[in-house]
Amino acid sequence: MASDSSPVNFNNGPSSPQDSSSSPIPNTSSPAHRRRGGRRQTSTPSSAAATPPPNPSRFAKSSSTPTPSRSTRRGRRPATSPTPTAAATPSSTDDFPPPSSDGGEDMEEATPTFVWGTNISVQDVKNAIQMFIKHFRETQELSNDIYGEGKYTRLIHRVLEIEGEWIDVDAQDVFSYDSDLYNKMVRYPLEVLAIFDIVLMDIVSLINPLFDKHVQVRIHNLKSATSMRNLNPSDIEKMVSLKGMVIRCSSIIPEIREAVFRCIVCGYHSDPVVVDRGRITEPTTCSKPDCLAKNSMTLVHNRCRFADKQIVRLQETPDEIPEGGTPHTVSLLMHDKLVDAGKPGDRVEVTGIYRAMSVRVGPTQRTVKSLFKTYIDCLHIKKTDKSRMMAEDPMEVDNGSQSQRIEDDVQLDEDKVEELKELSKQPDIYERLTRSLAPNIWELDDVKKGLLCQLFGGNALKLPSGASFRGDINILLVGDPGTSKSQLLQYIHKLSPRGIYTSGRGSSAVGLTAYVTKDPETGETVLESGALVLSDRGICCIDEFDKMSDNARSMLHEVMEQQTVSIAKAGIIASLNARTSVLACANPSGSRYNPRLSVIDNIHLPPTLLSRFDLIYLILDKADEQTDRHLAKHIVSLHFEDTEIAEQDVLDLATLTAYVSYARKNIHPKLSDEAAEELTRGYVDMRKRGNFPGSSKKVITATPRQIESLIRLSEALARIRFSEWVEMRDVTEAFRLLEVAMQQSATDHSTGTIDMDLITTGVSASERMRRENVLSATRNIIMEKVQLGGPSVRLLELLDELKKQSSGNEIHLHDLRNAVSTLASEGFVVLHGDSVKRI
Amino acid sequence: MGGPPYDCLANPLGAVRLTFEKAIGSGTQTHPSAFDGKDWGALDVFRHFLFQESGLSQVPILNPKTMRWVRPYTLVRYRGMIQDMLGNEIYAGAYKDGYLWRTNKFMDISQYPMGSSPDMCVWERRLLYCVPVPGQSSWTEPSCEMNLNQGMDQSSQNRGKRRRMDDEDDPMDVVHDDEVKSSPTTKKMREDGFPFSSPESRDSKTGSSCTSMATFQYVDKDYLPCLVKIYDSPESELKLNDVVEFIGVLSFDSELALEKDDELSNNFYDDALVYLPPNKVPRLHCIIHRKLAVHDFLQGFPIMEPKPHLVKEIREALFRHLTAVLGNDGVAAHFMLLHLLSKVHARAFDVFVGKLSLNLIGLSKESVSVFGIRLSQAVKNLLPFTHCIPLTLEYLNTASLAPKRDYQTNRLIRGVLQLPEGSHLMVDETQLESGTLNSKGIENTKLLKNLVEFQKVEYDFQYCKMEMAADVQLLIFSEGKSNIVPADVVIPFQPSSLGSSEIPVAEAVEAWRWYLATVQSLPYSIGSEMQKEVEDDLVAARQADRSLGSQDFNRWMTMARLVSTSFGETSLSMEHWQMVKELERLRMERLK
Repeated sequence: MASDSSPVNFNNGPSSPQDSSSSPIPNTSSPAHRRRGGRRQTSTPSSAAATPPPNPSRFAKSSSTPTPSRSTRRGRRPATSPTPTAAATPSSTDDFPPPSSDGGEDMEEATPTFVWGTNISVQDVKNAIQMFIKHFRETQELSNDIYGEGKYTRLIHRVLEIEGEWIDVDAQDVFSYDSDLYNKMVRYPLEVLAIFDIVLMDIVSLINPLFDKHVQVRIHNLKSATSMRNLNPSDIEKMVSLKGMVIRCSSIIPEIREAVFRCIVCGYHSDPVVVDRGRITEPTTCSKPDCLAKNSMTLVHNRCRFADKQIVRLQETPDEIPEGGTPHTVSLLMHDKLVDAGKPGDRVEVTGIYRAMSVRVGPTQRTVKSLFKTYIDCLHIKKTDKSRMMAEDPMEVDNGSQSQRIEDDVQLDEDKVEELKELSKQPDIYERLTRSLAPNIWELDDVKKGLLCQLFGGNALKLPSGASFRGDINILLVGDPGTSKSQLLQYIHKLSPRGIYTSGRGSSAVGLTAYVTKDPETGETVLESGALVLSDRGICCIDEFDKMSDNARSMLHEVMEQQTVSIAKAGIIASLNARTSVLACANPSGSRYNPRLSVIDNIHLPPTLLSRFDLIYLILDKADEQTDRHLAKHIVSLHFEDTEIAEQDVLDLATLTAYVSYARKNIHPKLSDEAAEELTRGYVDMRKRGNFPGSSKKVITATPRQIESLIRLSEALARIRFSEWVEMRDVTEAFRLLEVAMQQSATDHSTGTIDMDLITTGVSASERMRRENVLSATRNIIMEKVQLGGPSVRLLELLDELKKQSSGNEIHLHDLRNAVSTLASEGFVVLHGDSVKRI
Repeated sequence: MGGPPYDCLANPLGAVRLTFEKAIGSGTQTHPSAFDGKDWGALDVFRHFLFQESGLSQVPILNPKTMRWVRPYTLVRYRGMIQDMLGNEIYAGAYKDGYLWRTNKFMDISQYPMGSSPDMCVWERRLLYCVPVPGQSSWTEPSCEMNLNQGMDQSSQNRGKRRRMDDEDDPMDVVHDDEVKSSPTTKKMREDGFPFSSPESRDSKTGSSCTSMATFQYVDKDYLPCLVKIYDSPESELKLNDVVEFIGVLSFDSELALEKDDELSNNFYDDALVYLPPNKVPRLHCIIHRKLAVHDFLQGFPIMEPKPHLVKEIREALFRHLTAVLGNDGVAAHFMLLHLLSKVHARAFDVFVGKLSLNLIGLSKESVSVFGIRLSQAVKNLLPFTHCIPLTLEYLNTASLAPKRDYQTNRLIRGVLQLPEGSHLMVDETQLESGTLNSKGIENTKLLKNLVEFQKVEYDFQYCKMEMAADVQLLIFSEGKSNIVPADVVIPFQPSSLGSSEIPVAEAVEAWRWYLATVQSLPYSIGSEMQKEVEDDLVAARQADRSLGSQDFNRWMTMARLVSTSFGETSLSMEHWQMVKELERLRMERLK
């Protein structure tokens, strides 16, 4: 039976908040309790779960409600009544079924005791817990050695060795061993945990009778976590598990647990007085028989016992907040060792007991407000992001607090992982993901595929020699205005972990990398990270890359290849990690892309920087009626069908994000032999293509940077398929992607071949050849036509002459101008405006 | 008036109690835990009273003025925007007083002693912090005079009636007379009808004015927030920034203010509530709530079918009015009309269908002082919620535009941009001078840009930011095209005269308000033939001018919709499409 499925009867039983302060344990008056009670009282009053006083609990007794007097009266009844039925007093009709699995073993106990208000036998629970601690084995242990010590017996030994104060018990273990015990524990945590503590102390005292520290049990990892939003009255007094973020911690409150009074008349010290429901009753008379002075007792602070207490506020995780709602918060009460376990900003998973206490209208009034204040009595706290920080894979998706979009510490549960794996097995997953990426932007499929690769990323490699290869893929989009480049960027920014979006126009070098400031308060110099450092392990989207100042762009050289940012200023010399994929987009320098000019000429970017992009896509706005119609149709339908825009068969953003982060975290593909071979072969092929038979002209079609890009791309493609091996088809696709991208940007328009010189130097081989030709032709003409020191010749005349001579090639004025200026630099001619004069 | 034996208006809790006892007593249904906090029939009684017996108009609206005479534990209504959600509160819903079940639903303090009873049902309710709708125009508030008189009459009348009723035919009271009399507090309640009310209120019974709320301290004379406690409503029904009318029981207990002494528990729990002392923020136990549309604010104008000829007439008049306000600039008036009708109809990842923000350029500081003010008055007069931001450097650097969660008080601090759906926001950029923006200024400009482009506002929860969808009409005045707030439509403003500042007839204004509210929500479609036409036009336009992009097309389509609906038509016609193109042509001409 699940803990939350059964309706709880609030009229009686421990579930009523009215009685929350009164632990039902006193009625569990088995002889064993009594025996140990006295000792415990002195040694560990903070957790005196089984001490005789009416209200022993290790939990806060902050309730100020007058406890119903009947609770104690009724509580004792089961101990005196011999039959189990007596426990079920007329009003305490509870619907919890009698324990069935472990009910048969305690027959020798003459008078079964019951948890008040229920028919749970204390002895049964005790036996069950003992069985659990002694006999629980983890699955792998079960097979190995069945006679060895169980997990928790070992844990107890260890705790004794290190003199620890608690034992973490995995609730899943309890469930798998004895689901009935688990259900009882979740439904009646106060009672069952108290018994648990007793059992633990029994065991501890058996092992080491001199061990006088109190060992508590801490339950964690419940089967199902509750959403903070769904906490409701039926959860009160039950064990719950919540995820959230710590937003506020109170200061540590010393809470009195045991007070000692002294008589100011005779100096007699009273016995320790234990806190009862948040109050300590000061003795009115001195208890020394020969003094008996009235109103003479004062508190002796030094001899009182205090315990740490802290109140922490927890806010629910953003993914649990429904649309149009604000985050809920809940108070946590932390005790002893749990104090300061979480700091504001920590994401934690908390296991505790949901409790409510009533509010009095005023301290002096008897009237009780009908309100209850709720809080969670914390049993266990776990920081959920710890494991992430310890993982060392540099490509791991790791989210800082500044990235709020994707909560990757939303630990993917198994169902989700299964779902993703199922998804990855689909044969068309690559196409499907492509389609899901920015579904509002059509065409551009190859660009999207490139972006997909960037999202998944390749494997970073660090050689023992210290050389490292980046796994990040950098992409540049160049294109006409209005071709939805920025939208793509925005989309990737939304999707990527730790994405940073900046505009080149507004970015300065320091804003991108890092800068040093003086802290206004302390006067220390502080290093502040810029966009690239902040997007470490993410994607830095830079819009209007071309408009960025040269100064800022030069900083990118280091980032894009070395993946670090080095700072040397104001006494700080540092090298910061910036393992960032850069996604930039640029507009052509004219308003439109001029297909006759090279990429370099079009975007005015230094070739050194350009070559650091793995893929450069040209997004050209072709005057294509088909595309226009497609666009028109889409927009019309958008405005006509009001609500439904989503395309079918497309993964939603959340799934896509989960898919990407899972892949980045868990999939690390390696090159298979055949893939490696294919890579080599393909690369050699590409290099060969530059050598035209019979031509001395050497065109570089591929550089070593390309092979690195290819490896990264194929790794990313394997990751998309959740495959641990890079296969042949990945390599083929990587080649295709690279070729498509290069064809667009590095194609020499005059010859139609790919020419890496275009990217690396900005001038293609054929262009260089042509320029040489024009230059020599011009030189010849000037030699022939223009006399030394004679009248100057206009450029247009020269152009006509040139055109006449070279009939095949088209020659433009600016070609000629270039040639003439070269000649001028040689000291051959002088150029004044439009006229050329030979000297 | 025969009616039920209780007065919903003056003693709503009596009605609650009666229905509760009836439900408990009837048949097998005897254990209140079966209700689980759900309604047991009380809602029907109130619904019947409010809507069938048209008792709604008799319920006083809570505002600073009425606050002076409204009595606690009576039925009131409050109109406001949900500004923050303070989570759930658990309360003792039903408890046993002796042998009888009592309920605490719709009240803060139990009327009967309940301390020693272990039989109790625990229920929960939601807390909403509501504020008057930001930028609410004065015309939306019902004329107080009428309400006041009516309310006074009603309450005194009811008072007499209620007392008679108590003596004669309220069986419940008779039954428990003995118990009730045993406690002095409850005795007072018995006589008074109001538990725990202060001594003054007793005296006031004889006087003409009630001072039961005399202890209420005004923080701001015109600003009355309210803490609403919601009982029977699913969580998804009420969202942040919704404008809602809550009808329920006003509760006010001075004793609650004493809570502060208990410092430990304050530090501990409802931080938010400590900062909302009951003597500053009244509590309303909501029985019935309804979301308000613009129509609910219209007074006196009958709700009717939007007949085409009628709509056209009103449209013409409104257009003339706008033209006059805009100094005879007809084109600008056209765009202004469309702008006033705009509303986000659908959202996709990056496309927002239906928004049409307007940027009037060519305005200087001087002309803004004439036209800007006149226009803002005109808009205020037409739309229920309007706002104006003077975009100066200082404002950008200091104002907090985004709402922010303050974890000290555990509340959401309202930002200027926390606006309900359908708000109108005017941004006056003409006063902006060159200078340096600090980090807050940059944040603020980003917010404004996001609002105009994506209709989203990022709320700052310190440890995380949450985007909240907004639907705000933005009107920007600037000299040149505004880059801080890039609007959908940029139009140079060319007035030919100073324009008249005549005040339109009240009835006409009423009609315009009705028109704007009605036409905005008309359904819309494009016939298949028209679709083809439009597509062809778009393709042709793009072939002719490559600089046109999806943004332009989106704007055209939005305008087409707005033009059609502005004529009261539900599908696009060729004539209106031509009109859109013509308007765009005129605009482009001006931009050159």
